[in-house]
Amino acid sequence: MGILSEFINSYFLWRDPMIVGAVSGAVCGFLGVYVVLRRIIFVSAALTQISSFGVALSFYLEGFSMGAMSSFIHPFILSTVLTSLAAVFFAMKRDFSRISQEGVIGFGFLIASGAVIILGDRITKGAHDIANILFGSAVVVDPKDVYIIPAVALAAVVIHIIFFKDFVFVSFDEETARLFKYPVRTLNTAILVTIAVVVAVATRALGALPVFSFLALPPLTSLFLTERLKLVFALSVIIGALSATLGYFFSFVLSIPTGASMAVSASVFFILGLLWREVKVRL
Amino acid sequence: MKRRIDDRMANLIRLEDVTIGYENKGILGPINLAIENGQFWGILGQNGGGKSTLLKTLLGLLPTVSGNVKSADGIVFGYVPQSEKFDPIFPVSVGEIVSMGRYVRVRPGKKLTVSDMDQITRSLEKTGILHLKDRTFRSLSGGEKQRSLLARAIAGEPDVLVLDEPTASVDVKGEVQIMELVQKIRSDDGLTVLMVSHFLNTVTRYADRIILIDKDSGYFEAGGKSEILTDHNLSKFFGLGTGSVII
Repeated sequence: MGILSEFINSYFLWRDPMIVGAVSGAVCGFLGVYVVLRRIIFVSAALTQISSFGVALSFYLEGFSMGAMSSFIHPFILSTVLTSLAAVFFAMKRDFSRISQEGVIGFGFLIASGAVIILGDRITKGAHDIANILFGSAVVVDPKDVYIIPAVALAAVVIHIIFFKDFVFVSFDEETARLFKYPVRTLNTAILVTIAVVVAVATRALGALPVFSFLALPPLTSLFLTERLKLVFALSVIIGALSATLGYFFSFVLSIPTGASMAVSASVFFILGLLWREVKVRL
Repeated sequence: MKRRIDDRMANLIRLEDVTIGYENKGILGPINLAIENGQFWGILGQNGGGKSTLLKTLLGLLPTVSGNVKSADGIVFGYVPQSEKFDPIFPVSVGEIVSMGRYVRVRPGKKLTVSDMDQITRSLEKTGILHLKDRTFRSLSGGEKQRSLLARAIAGEPDVLVLDEPTASVDVKGEVQIMELVQKIRSDDGLTVLMVSHFLNTVTRYADRIILIDKDSGYFEAGGKSEILTDHNLSKFFGLGTGSVII
Protein backbone atom coordinates (compact mmCIF):
# COMPACT_ATOMS: atom_id res chain seq x y z
CA MET A 1 0.00 0.00 0.00
CA GLY A 2 2.99 2.25 0.59
CA ILE A 3 3.98 2.20 -3.06
CA LEU A 4 0.41 2.71 -4.18
CA SER A 5 -0.17 5.68 -1.91
CA GLU A 6 3.15 7.16 -3.03
CA PHE A 7 2.02 6.75 -6.62
CA ILE A 8 -1.34 8.38 -5.94
CA ASN A 9 0.27 11.24 -4.07
CA SER A 10 2.53 11.87 -7.06
CA TYR A 11 -0.49 12.64 -9.22
CA PHE A 12 1.00 15.96 -10.37
CA LEU A 13 3.93 14.04 -11.85
CA TRP A 14 2.10 11.38 -13.80
CA ARG A 15 -1.23 12.96 -14.76
CA ASP A 16 -0.09 14.39 -18.12
CA PRO A 17 2.08 11.44 -19.18
CA MET A 18 -0.71 9.06 -18.19
CA ILE A 19 -3.26 10.96 -20.30
CA VAL A 20 -0.87 11.02 -23.26
CA GLY A 21 -0.06 7.34 -22.83
CA ALA A 22 -3.65 6.19 -22.43
CA VAL A 23 -4.93 8.18 -25.42
CA SER A 24 -2.00 7.01 -27.57
CA GLY A 25 -2.52 3.41 -26.52
CA ALA A 26 -6.23 3.61 -27.24
CA VAL A 27 -6.02 5.21 -30.68
CA CYS A 28 -3.07 3.04 -31.75
CA GLY A 29 -5.03 0.01 -30.58
CA PHE A 30 -7.96 1.10 -32.76
CA LEU A 31 -5.88 1.81 -35.86
CA GLY A 32 -3.81 -1.29 -35.24
CA VAL A 33 -6.82 -3.46 -36.10
CA TYR A 34 -6.35 -2.39 -39.73
CA VAL A 35 -2.60 -2.97 -39.41
CA VAL A 36 -3.16 -6.56 -38.28
CA LEU A 37 -6.10 -7.46 -40.56
CA ARG A 38 -4.40 -6.01 -43.64
CA ARG A 39 -1.21 -7.85 -42.65
CA ILE A 40 0.89 -4.69 -42.68
CA ILE A 41 2.51 -4.98 -39.26
CA PHE A 42 5.87 -4.45 -40.95
CA VAL A 43 4.54 -1.21 -42.47
CA SER A 44 3.68 0.08 -39.00
CA ALA A 45 7.17 -0.86 -37.79
CA ALA A 46 8.66 1.10 -40.70
CA LEU A 47 6.41 4.10 -39.97
CA THR A 48 7.46 4.23 -36.31
CA GLN A 49 11.13 4.17 -37.35
CA ILE A 50 10.58 6.82 -40.00
CA SER A 51 8.79 8.94 -37.40
CA SER A 52 11.76 8.50 -35.07
CA PHE A 53 14.04 9.53 -37.93
CA GLY A 54 11.96 12.68 -38.37
CA VAL A 55 12.36 13.54 -34.68
CA ALA A 56 16.10 12.79 -34.70
CA LEU A 57 16.57 14.79 -37.91
CA SER A 58 14.78 17.73 -36.35
CA PHE A 59 17.07 17.67 -33.30
CA TYR A 60 20.12 17.36 -35.55
CA LEU A 61 19.07 20.28 -37.74
CA GLU A 62 18.54 22.47 -34.65
CA GLY A 63 22.28 22.92 -34.65
CA PHE A 64 22.21 24.61 -38.07
CA SER A 65 20.98 28.00 -39.11
CA MET A 66 18.03 27.24 -41.44
CA GLY A 67 16.66 30.75 -41.91
CA ALA A 68 13.11 30.72 -43.21
CA MET A 69 13.03 26.91 -43.03
CA SER A 70 13.52 26.89 -39.25
CA SER A 71 9.82 26.58 -38.49
CA PHE A 72 9.63 23.42 -40.60
CA ILE A 73 12.23 21.56 -38.57
CA HIS A 74 10.02 21.33 -35.51
CA PRO A 75 9.98 17.65 -34.44
CA PHE A 76 6.19 17.42 -34.73
CA ILE A 77 6.05 18.89 -38.24
CA LEU A 78 9.07 17.10 -39.70
CA SER A 79 8.10 13.77 -38.18
CA THR A 80 4.48 14.06 -39.37
CA VAL A 81 5.45 15.11 -42.90
CA LEU A 82 8.04 12.35 -43.36
CA THR A 83 5.77 9.66 -41.92
CA SER A 84 2.79 10.77 -44.01
CA LEU A 85 4.89 10.80 -47.20
CA ALA A 86 6.10 7.29 -46.38
CA ALA A 87 2.49 6.17 -45.86
CA VAL A 88 1.42 7.57 -49.24
CA PHE A 89 4.39 5.82 -50.83
CA PHE A 90 3.57 2.47 -49.19
CA ALA A 91 -0.09 2.84 -50.25
CA MET A 92 0.96 2.86 -53.88
CA LYS A 93 1.36 -0.94 -53.84
CA ARG A 94 3.65 -1.25 -56.79
CA ASP A 95 6.60 -3.45 -57.56
CA PHE A 96 9.73 -1.35 -57.86
CA SER A 97 12.47 -2.60 -60.19
CA ARG A 98 11.30 -6.19 -59.69
CA ILE A 99 11.49 -6.17 -55.89
CA SER A 100 8.34 -6.64 -53.88
CA GLN A 101 6.46 -4.07 -51.85
CA GLU A 102 7.73 -5.87 -48.73
CA GLY A 103 11.30 -5.34 -49.89
CA VAL A 104 10.69 -1.60 -50.22
CA ILE A 105 9.11 -1.46 -46.75
CA GLY A 106 12.06 -3.38 -45.34
CA PHE A 107 14.41 -0.88 -46.96
CA GLY A 108 12.43 2.00 -45.40
CA PHE A 109 12.57 0.36 -41.96
CA LEU A 110 16.32 -0.35 -42.12
CA ILE A 111 17.48 2.94 -43.54
CA ALA A 112 15.35 4.88 -41.04
CA SER A 113 16.65 2.75 -38.14
CA GLY A 114 20.27 3.20 -39.22
CA ALA A 115 19.84 6.92 -39.83
CA VAL A 116 18.31 7.44 -36.37
CA ILE A 117 21.37 5.87 -34.72
CA ILE A 118 23.83 7.80 -36.87
CA LEU A 119 22.01 11.10 -36.28
CA GLY A 120 21.76 10.31 -32.60
CA ASP A 121 25.51 10.14 -32.46
CA ARG A 122 25.68 13.62 -34.00
CA ILE A 123 23.04 15.29 -31.83
CA THR A 124 24.43 17.76 -29.28
CA LYS A 125 25.47 15.81 -26.24
CA GLY A 126 23.23 16.28 -23.24
CA ALA A 127 20.49 17.84 -25.30
CA HIS A 128 18.53 14.74 -26.34
CA ASP A 129 18.89 11.02 -25.82
CA ILE A 130 18.47 8.84 -28.92
CA ALA A 131 17.48 5.88 -26.78
CA ASN A 132 14.49 7.83 -25.53
CA ILE A 133 13.42 8.52 -29.11
CA LEU A 134 13.57 4.85 -30.01
CA PHE A 135 12.45 3.11 -26.86
CA GLY A 136 10.40 5.72 -25.08
CA SER A 137 10.77 7.90 -22.06
CA ALA A 138 7.22 9.01 -21.45
CA VAL A 139 8.02 9.78 -17.84
CA VAL A 140 7.58 13.44 -18.57
CA VAL A 141 5.89 14.78 -21.68
CA ASP A 142 5.76 18.18 -23.34
CA PRO A 143 2.69 19.98 -21.84
CA LYS A 144 1.46 20.74 -25.36
CA ASP A 145 1.19 16.99 -26.06
CA VAL A 146 -1.69 16.75 -23.57
CA TYR A 147 -3.72 18.75 -26.09
CA ILE A 148 -2.08 17.80 -29.40
CA ILE A 149 -2.32 14.04 -29.03
CA PRO A 150 -6.00 13.89 -27.98
CA ALA A 151 -6.82 16.37 -30.78
CA VAL A 152 -5.04 14.27 -33.41
CA ALA A 153 -6.57 11.09 -31.98
CA LEU A 154 -10.05 12.61 -32.09
CA ALA A 155 -9.62 13.74 -35.69
CA ALA A 156 -8.42 10.26 -36.71
CA VAL A 157 -11.29 8.56 -34.89
CA VAL A 158 -13.91 10.88 -36.44
CA ILE A 159 -12.58 10.11 -39.93
CA HIS A 160 -12.68 6.40 -39.19
CA ILE A 161 -16.20 6.54 -37.78
CA ILE A 162 -17.51 8.38 -40.86
CA PHE A 163 -15.80 5.99 -43.28
CA PHE A 164 -15.85 2.83 -41.14
CA LYS A 165 -17.86 0.70 -43.57
CA ASP A 166 -15.69 1.89 -46.48
CA PHE A 167 -12.35 1.25 -44.76
CA VAL A 168 -13.46 -2.25 -43.73
CA PHE A 169 -14.78 -2.92 -47.24
CA VAL A 170 -11.55 -2.01 -49.07
CA SER A 171 -9.50 -3.84 -46.45
CA PHE A 172 -11.55 -7.04 -46.81
CA ASP A 173 -12.38 -7.11 -50.52
CA GLU A 174 -10.54 -4.51 -52.55
CA GLU A 175 -11.47 -6.13 -55.87
CA THR A 176 -15.23 -5.85 -55.31
CA ALA A 177 -14.77 -2.30 -54.01
CA ARG A 178 -13.09 -1.44 -57.33
CA LEU A 179 -15.92 -3.15 -59.21
CA PHE A 180 -18.38 -0.93 -57.32
CA LYS A 181 -16.34 2.13 -58.39
CA TYR A 182 -15.28 2.93 -54.84
CA PRO A 183 -12.24 5.27 -54.64
CA VAL A 184 -10.04 2.42 -53.47
CA ARG A 185 -6.69 4.17 -53.74
CA THR A 186 -7.99 7.20 -51.83
CA LEU A 187 -9.47 5.05 -49.08
CA ASN A 188 -6.32 2.94 -48.73
CA THR A 189 -4.21 6.10 -48.58
CA ALA A 190 -6.53 7.62 -45.98
CA ILE A 191 -6.15 4.57 -43.75
CA LEU A 192 -2.36 4.68 -43.98
CA VAL A 193 -2.07 8.45 -43.60
CA THR A 194 -4.27 8.50 -40.46
CA ILE A 195 -2.07 5.75 -39.04
CA ALA A 196 1.04 7.71 -40.06
CA VAL A 197 -0.06 10.97 -38.41
CA VAL A 198 -1.03 9.23 -35.16
CA VAL A 199 2.26 7.29 -35.21
CA ALA A 200 4.19 10.53 -35.72
CA VAL A 201 2.67 12.36 -32.74
CA ALA A 202 2.60 9.31 -30.45
CA THR A 203 6.20 8.31 -31.27
CA ARG A 204 7.43 11.77 -30.41
CA ALA A 205 5.77 11.53 -27.01
CA LEU A 206 6.24 7.86 -26.13
CA GLY A 207 8.97 6.45 -28.39
CA ALA A 208 8.93 3.98 -31.29
CA LEU A 209 8.87 0.75 -29.26
CA PRO A 210 5.66 1.34 -27.27
CA VAL A 211 3.84 2.81 -30.30
CA PHE A 212 4.71 -0.22 -32.43
CA SER A 213 3.58 -2.46 -29.55
CA PHE A 214 0.19 -0.72 -29.34
CA LEU A 215 -0.35 -1.04 -33.10
CA ALA A 216 0.25 -4.79 -33.06
CA LEU A 217 -0.44 -6.41 -29.71
CA PRO A 218 -3.86 -5.08 -28.57
CA PRO A 219 -5.51 -6.00 -31.93
CA LEU A 220 -3.88 -9.44 -31.91
CA THR A 221 -5.08 -9.96 -28.34
CA SER A 222 -8.61 -8.87 -29.27
CA LEU A 223 -8.69 -11.39 -32.11
CA PHE A 224 -8.10 -14.12 -29.53
CA LEU A 225 -11.01 -12.90 -27.44
CA THR A 226 -13.82 -12.36 -29.93
CA GLU A 227 -15.02 -13.17 -33.45
CA ARG A 228 -17.09 -10.02 -33.86
CA LEU A 229 -15.35 -7.28 -35.80
CA LYS A 230 -16.76 -4.27 -33.95
CA LEU A 231 -15.89 -5.89 -30.65
CA VAL A 232 -12.32 -6.40 -31.89
CA PHE A 233 -12.03 -2.63 -32.35
CA ALA A 234 -13.58 -1.90 -28.93
CA LEU A 235 -11.40 -4.40 -27.05
CA SER A 236 -8.28 -3.21 -28.85
CA VAL A 237 -8.95 0.35 -27.67
CA ILE A 238 -9.40 -0.80 -24.07
CA ILE A 239 -6.35 -3.09 -24.09
CA GLY A 240 -4.22 -0.36 -25.70
CA ALA A 241 -5.22 2.18 -23.03
CA LEU A 242 -4.71 -0.34 -20.22
CA SER A 243 -1.30 -1.40 -21.55
CA ALA A 244 -0.16 2.22 -21.56
CA THR A 245 -1.47 3.08 -18.08
CA LEU A 246 -0.32 -0.14 -16.43
CA GLY A 247 3.01 0.15 -18.21
CA TYR A 248 3.45 3.62 -16.82
CA PHE A 249 2.41 2.51 -13.33
CA PHE A 250 4.92 -0.37 -13.24
CA SER A 251 7.61 1.88 -14.66
CA PHE A 252 6.97 4.26 -11.76
CA VAL A 253 6.92 1.73 -8.96
CA LEU A 254 9.67 -0.56 -10.28
CA SER A 255 11.91 2.19 -11.73
CA ILE A 256 12.12 0.58 -15.14
CA PRO A 257 12.16 2.30 -18.57
CA THR A 258 8.65 3.51 -19.35
CA GLY A 259 8.48 2.61 -23.04
CA ALA A 260 9.72 -0.92 -22.44
CA SER A 261 7.30 -1.31 -19.53
CA MET A 262 4.39 -0.34 -21.79
CA ALA A 263 5.52 -2.81 -24.47
CA VAL A 264 5.83 -5.61 -21.89
CA SER A 265 2.37 -4.78 -20.46
CA ALA A 266 0.90 -5.11 -23.95
CA SER A 267 2.77 -8.41 -24.33
CA VAL A 268 1.32 -9.71 -21.05
CA PHE A 269 -2.19 -8.98 -22.33
CA PHE A 270 -1.28 -10.83 -25.54
CA ILE A 271 -0.17 -13.90 -23.57
CA LEU A 272 -3.33 -13.79 -21.42
CA GLY A 273 -5.45 -13.54 -24.57
CA LEU A 274 -3.64 -16.50 -26.12
CA LEU A 275 -4.13 -18.59 -22.96
CA TRP A 276 -7.83 -17.66 -22.89
CA ARG A 277 -8.20 -18.77 -26.49
CA GLU A 278 -6.41 -22.07 -25.87
CA VAL A 279 -8.54 -22.83 -22.80
CA LYS A 280 -11.75 -21.94 -24.67
CA VAL A 281 -10.86 -24.20 -27.60
CA ARG A 282 -10.19 -27.14 -25.32
CA LEU A 283 -13.34 -26.82 -23.18
CA MET B 1 -33.80 2.39 -55.64
CA LYS B 2 -32.88 -0.18 -58.27
CA ARG B 3 -32.47 1.18 -61.77
CA ARG B 4 -33.44 -1.42 -64.30
CA ILE B 5 -31.46 -1.68 -67.46
CA ASP B 6 -33.77 -0.76 -70.34
CA ASP B 7 -35.03 -4.04 -71.81
CA ARG B 8 -34.81 -2.45 -75.22
CA MET B 9 -31.05 -2.22 -74.76
CA ALA B 10 -29.90 -5.48 -76.34
CA ASN B 11 -26.17 -5.32 -75.66
CA LEU B 12 -25.25 -4.99 -72.02
CA ILE B 13 -21.54 -5.47 -72.60
CA ARG B 14 -19.68 -5.30 -75.86
CA LEU B 15 -16.04 -6.15 -76.59
CA GLU B 16 -14.68 -4.56 -79.77
CA ASP B 17 -11.34 -5.86 -81.05
CA VAL B 18 -10.17 -6.39 -77.50
CA THR B 19 -6.84 -7.93 -76.61
CA ILE B 20 -6.79 -9.13 -73.01
CA GLY B 21 -3.67 -9.36 -70.87
CA TYR B 22 -1.70 -7.92 -67.94
CA GLU B 23 0.52 -4.84 -67.72
CA ASN B 24 0.27 -4.14 -71.44
CA LYS B 25 1.28 -7.71 -72.34
CA GLY B 26 -1.43 -9.29 -74.50
CA ILE B 27 -2.31 -12.94 -74.00
CA LEU B 28 -5.23 -13.29 -76.40
CA GLY B 29 -7.00 -11.21 -79.00
CA PRO B 30 -8.59 -9.60 -80.88
CA ILE B 31 -11.89 -10.62 -79.28
CA ASN B 32 -15.30 -9.44 -80.43
CA LEU B 33 -18.21 -10.31 -78.18
CA ALA B 34 -21.69 -9.02 -77.34
CA ILE B 35 -23.46 -9.99 -74.10
CA GLU B 36 -27.18 -9.46 -74.44
CA ASN B 37 -29.82 -8.87 -71.80
CA GLY B 38 -31.09 -12.08 -70.18
CA GLN B 39 -28.45 -14.45 -71.52
CA PHE B 40 -26.55 -17.05 -69.44
CA TRP B 41 -22.95 -17.31 -70.61
CA GLY B 42 -20.62 -20.06 -69.49
CA ILE B 43 -16.90 -19.29 -69.88
CA LEU B 44 -15.08 -22.59 -70.32
CA GLY B 45 -11.41 -23.48 -70.54
CA GLN B 46 -8.54 -25.19 -68.82
CA ASN B 47 -6.82 -23.84 -65.72
CA GLY B 48 -4.67 -20.89 -66.71
CA GLY B 49 -6.45 -20.61 -70.04
CA GLY B 50 -7.45 -16.97 -69.66
CA LYS B 51 -11.00 -17.38 -68.30
CA SER B 52 -10.53 -15.15 -65.25
CA THR B 53 -8.53 -12.60 -67.26
CA LEU B 54 -11.42 -12.37 -69.74
CA LEU B 55 -13.95 -12.07 -66.92
CA LYS B 56 -12.03 -9.30 -65.17
CA THR B 57 -11.66 -7.45 -68.46
CA LEU B 58 -15.43 -7.69 -69.04
CA LEU B 59 -16.00 -6.26 -65.55
CA GLY B 60 -13.53 -3.43 -66.05
CA LEU B 61 -11.23 -4.71 -63.31
CA LEU B 62 -8.42 -5.18 -65.83
CA PRO B 63 -7.66 -2.67 -68.57
CA THR B 64 -7.57 -3.97 -72.10
CA VAL B 65 -4.22 -4.14 -73.86
CA SER B 66 -6.07 -2.82 -76.89
CA GLY B 67 -9.67 -2.40 -78.04
CA ASN B 68 -12.75 -1.25 -76.17
CA VAL B 69 -15.13 -2.67 -73.61
CA LYS B 70 -18.46 -0.90 -73.71
CA SER B 71 -21.04 -1.39 -70.97
CA ALA B 72 -24.59 -0.10 -70.74
CA ASP B 73 -24.89 3.10 -68.68
CA GLY B 74 -25.42 2.45 -65.01
CA ILE B 75 -24.96 -1.27 -65.30
CA VAL B 76 -24.65 -2.96 -61.89
CA PHE B 77 -22.69 -6.15 -61.40
CA GLY B 78 -23.24 -8.68 -58.65
CA TYR B 79 -19.97 -10.58 -58.22
CA VAL B 80 -19.50 -14.01 -56.67
CA PRO B 81 -15.73 -14.60 -56.40
CA GLN B 82 -14.07 -17.76 -55.21
CA SER B 83 -14.42 -17.95 -51.42
CA GLU B 84 -10.74 -18.91 -50.98
CA LYS B 85 -9.66 -15.40 -51.95
CA PHE B 86 -10.84 -13.96 -48.62
CA ASP B 87 -8.32 -13.76 -45.79
CA PRO B 88 -9.56 -15.97 -42.91
CA ILE B 89 -8.00 -13.56 -40.39
CA PHE B 90 -10.99 -11.25 -40.86
CA PRO B 91 -13.69 -11.85 -38.22
CA VAL B 92 -16.63 -10.81 -40.40
CA SER B 93 -20.11 -12.26 -40.05
CA VAL B 94 -22.32 -13.48 -42.87
CA GLY B 95 -24.59 -10.48 -42.30
CA GLU B 96 -21.65 -8.08 -42.63
CA ILE B 97 -20.45 -9.75 -45.82
CA VAL B 98 -23.89 -9.67 -47.41
CA SER B 99 -24.22 -6.00 -46.42
CA MET B 100 -21.09 -5.26 -48.46
CA GLY B 101 -22.97 -6.33 -51.57
CA ARG B 102 -25.36 -3.45 -50.96
CA TYR B 103 -22.53 -0.90 -51.02
CA VAL B 104 -22.83 -0.63 -54.81
CA ARG B 105 -25.99 1.40 -54.03
CA VAL B 106 -24.50 3.30 -51.05
CA ARG B 107 -21.65 5.72 -51.67
CA PRO B 108 -18.58 6.17 -49.43
CA GLY B 109 -19.30 8.08 -46.25
CA LYS B 110 -23.00 7.19 -46.33
CA LYS B 111 -24.72 4.70 -44.07
CA LEU B 112 -27.10 1.88 -44.96
CA THR B 113 -30.76 2.90 -44.75
CA VAL B 114 -33.71 0.85 -43.51
CA SER B 115 -34.56 0.07 -47.13
CA ASP B 116 -31.00 -1.20 -47.69
CA MET B 117 -31.27 -3.42 -44.60
CA ASP B 118 -34.58 -4.82 -45.89
CA GLN B 119 -32.97 -5.74 -49.20
CA ILE B 120 -30.09 -7.41 -47.37
CA THR B 121 -32.57 -9.48 -45.34
CA ARG B 122 -34.43 -10.44 -48.53
CA SER B 123 -31.14 -11.58 -50.09
CA LEU B 124 -30.41 -13.76 -47.05
CA GLU B 125 -33.90 -15.25 -47.23
CA LYS B 126 -33.72 -15.89 -50.98
CA THR B 127 -30.51 -17.86 -50.58
CA GLY B 128 -31.80 -19.74 -47.52
CA ILE B 129 -29.14 -18.50 -45.08
CA LEU B 130 -30.97 -16.04 -42.82
CA HIS B 131 -30.23 -18.39 -39.91
CA LEU B 132 -26.48 -17.98 -40.59
CA LYS B 133 -26.54 -14.17 -40.39
CA ASP B 134 -24.49 -13.94 -37.18
CA ARG B 135 -22.05 -16.76 -37.95
CA THR B 136 -18.52 -15.83 -38.97
CA PHE B 137 -17.83 -16.37 -42.66
CA ARG B 138 -14.70 -18.42 -42.03
CA SER B 139 -16.64 -20.97 -39.93
CA LEU B 140 -18.97 -21.89 -42.80
CA SER B 141 -18.82 -24.93 -45.07
CA GLY B 142 -17.93 -24.47 -48.76
CA GLY B 143 -21.57 -24.54 -49.82
CA GLU B 144 -22.64 -22.08 -47.12
CA LYS B 145 -19.86 -19.71 -48.15
CA GLN B 146 -21.01 -19.79 -51.76
CA ARG B 147 -24.60 -19.08 -50.70
CA SER B 148 -23.35 -16.15 -48.61
CA LEU B 149 -21.44 -14.73 -51.57
CA LEU B 150 -24.48 -15.25 -53.79
CA ALA B 151 -26.62 -13.38 -51.25
CA ARG B 152 -24.00 -10.62 -51.26
CA ALA B 153 -24.11 -10.44 -55.04
CA ILE B 154 -27.90 -10.04 -55.21
CA ALA B 155 -28.08 -7.61 -52.27
CA GLY B 156 -27.07 -4.87 -54.70
CA GLU B 157 -30.00 -5.69 -57.04
CA PRO B 158 -27.64 -6.26 -59.98
CA ASP B 159 -28.31 -6.37 -63.70
CA VAL B 160 -25.57 -8.92 -64.32
CA LEU B 161 -24.66 -11.78 -62.00
CA VAL B 162 -21.01 -12.77 -62.34
CA LEU B 163 -19.81 -16.08 -60.91
CA ASP B 164 -16.17 -17.17 -60.77
CA GLU B 165 -15.96 -20.95 -60.32
CA PRO B 166 -19.05 -21.03 -58.05
CA THR B 167 -18.96 -24.79 -57.50
CA ALA B 168 -15.20 -25.31 -57.19
CA SER B 169 -15.25 -25.85 -53.43
CA VAL B 170 -18.50 -27.81 -53.03
CA ASP B 171 -19.52 -31.45 -53.43
CA VAL B 172 -21.89 -32.72 -56.13
CA LYS B 173 -25.03 -32.19 -54.02
CA GLY B 174 -23.85 -28.70 -53.10
CA GLU B 175 -23.14 -27.94 -56.74
CA VAL B 176 -26.70 -28.82 -57.76
CA GLN B 177 -28.13 -26.73 -54.92
CA ILE B 178 -26.01 -23.68 -55.81
CA MET B 179 -26.77 -23.86 -59.51
CA GLU B 180 -30.51 -24.45 -58.99
CA LEU B 181 -30.48 -21.36 -56.75
CA VAL B 182 -28.68 -19.36 -59.45
CA GLN B 183 -31.27 -20.47 -62.01
CA LYS B 184 -34.14 -19.48 -59.74
CA ILE B 185 -32.64 -16.06 -58.98
CA ARG B 186 -31.97 -15.53 -62.68
CA SER B 187 -35.53 -16.42 -63.53
CA ASP B 188 -37.14 -14.38 -60.71
CA ASP B 189 -35.04 -11.24 -61.20
CA GLY B 190 -34.49 -11.39 -64.97
CA LEU B 191 -30.71 -11.36 -64.62
CA THR B 192 -28.00 -11.82 -67.17
CA VAL B 193 -25.42 -14.34 -65.95
CA LEU B 194 -21.71 -14.76 -66.67
CA MET B 195 -20.16 -17.85 -65.16
CA VAL B 196 -16.55 -19.01 -65.28
CA SER B 197 -16.10 -22.71 -64.73
CA HIS B 198 -13.82 -25.54 -65.73
CA PHE B 199 -16.63 -28.06 -65.09
CA LEU B 200 -18.02 -28.92 -68.49
CA ASN B 201 -21.13 -30.64 -67.18
CA THR B 202 -22.10 -27.62 -65.04
CA VAL B 203 -21.80 -25.23 -67.95
CA THR B 204 -23.59 -27.42 -70.48
CA ARG B 205 -26.47 -28.02 -68.10
CA TYR B 206 -27.19 -24.40 -67.14
CA ALA B 207 -25.72 -21.99 -69.67
CA ASP B 208 -27.36 -21.18 -72.99
CA ARG B 209 -24.25 -19.56 -74.51
CA ILE B 210 -20.64 -20.70 -74.30
CA ILE B 211 -17.28 -19.00 -74.54
CA LEU B 212 -14.41 -21.41 -75.06
CA ILE B 213 -11.02 -19.85 -74.40
CA ASP B 214 -7.43 -21.07 -74.42
CA LYS B 215 -4.67 -18.46 -74.50
CA ASP B 216 -1.88 -20.97 -75.12
CA SER B 217 -3.33 -21.98 -78.48
CA GLY B 218 -4.79 -18.53 -79.12
CA TYR B 219 -8.29 -20.00 -79.29
CA PHE B 220 -11.42 -17.96 -78.58
CA GLU B 221 -14.91 -18.80 -79.74
CA ALA B 222 -18.32 -17.70 -78.50
CA GLY B 223 -21.81 -18.80 -79.45
CA GLY B 224 -24.57 -21.32 -78.83
CA LYS B 225 -23.81 -24.62 -77.11
CA SER B 226 -24.12 -26.79 -80.20
CA GLU B 227 -21.90 -24.41 -82.19
CA ILE B 228 -19.08 -24.46 -79.66
CA LEU B 229 -19.22 -27.92 -78.10
CA THR B 230 -18.36 -29.77 -81.29
CA ASP B 231 -16.69 -33.17 -81.24
CA HIS B 232 -13.46 -31.50 -82.38
CA ASN B 233 -13.46 -28.98 -79.52
CA LEU B 234 -14.47 -31.54 -76.93
CA SER B 235 -11.63 -33.78 -78.02
CA LYS B 236 -9.06 -30.98 -78.28
CA PHE B 237 -9.83 -29.16 -75.02
CA PHE B 238 -11.36 -31.82 -72.80
CA GLY B 239 -10.00 -35.10 -74.19
CA LEU B 240 -13.52 -36.42 -74.70
CA GLY B 241 -14.63 -38.85 -77.37
CA THR B 242 -17.42 -38.41 -79.92
CA GLY B 243 -20.89 -38.11 -78.39
CA SER B 244 -19.55 -37.65 -74.86
CA VAL B 245 -21.66 -34.61 -74.09
CA ILE B 246 -25.40 -34.36 -74.44
CA ILE B 247 -26.37 -30.76 -75.04
